[in-house]
Amino acid sequence: MSEIAHQDHTEKKAFLVNSSSLKDVRSFCRDVFEKLQIQQDLKDELVLAIAEAAQNIVKHAFKNAAKPNELMVVQISCENNKLQIAFYDRGTPVDPKKVKHREIDNVKPGGLGTFFIQEIMDVVEFKDGKKPWINHLVLTKQL
Amino acid sequence: MTYKVDEIDNKRIVHLNGEIDMEVSDKARNTILPLIEAGHEVHLNLSKVEYMDSSGISVLVESKKLSEQKNTKFELVEVSKPVEKVLAMARKFL
Repeated sequence: MSEIAHQDHTEKKAFLVNSSSLKDVRSFCRDVFEKLQIQQDLKDELVLAIAEAAQNIVKHAFKNAAKPNELMVVQISCENNKLQIAFYDRGTPVDPKKVKHREIDNVKPGGLGTFFIQEIMDVVEFKDGKKPWINHLVLTKQL
Repeated sequence: MTYKVDEIDNKRIVHLNGEIDMEVSDKARNTILPLIEAGHEVHLNLSKVEYMDSSGISVLVESKKLSEQKNTKFELVEVSKPVEKVLAMARKFL
């Protein structure tokens, strides 16, 4: 747990749902975490978790075939040293029971992104997506 | 991501630079796998890779598996700190 009292802060940004947006998602996160004065090692891990979640939207919720103007939204909030990252998209509804990393003895790399997210974050939960959104993923980490 | 390949006898030293994510992982894959497929010993230098995600790890795993099938060598020769951190996390999983 961080000894620094991070200021309360919220920012959100919309991105096109495609793989080219992933670097913009990372850049947005790095900027916000810079403002929140999150230390470098944790910042790198959080950026990885967020980028993997965004990648899952592109790859799984939209199966790499989103319409050109389709958007996903990433919102980063920090309140009382609790960091919450919310994702909103209008892809195929995600069944949370099916979102898990694969068994450890299977040497295929698929599912690694989900494993990274679960390793880095304290809580990973899908909430009901309110219109116009279909999926609403929330990642939480106590700083 | 950019790359450079040095050739020493049957050895191919592949230097990757920049960020390796889903957008560019195919470029990395298409650079490395044909070299292994051709029977070359591939040494991968990741000292200038600033970011790597699960897509990049997938390329490493595929490369290692192909090298075993082809009975050749695939090795990481240098890795940057960000890559080392991701590899350490991935080792718990792979």
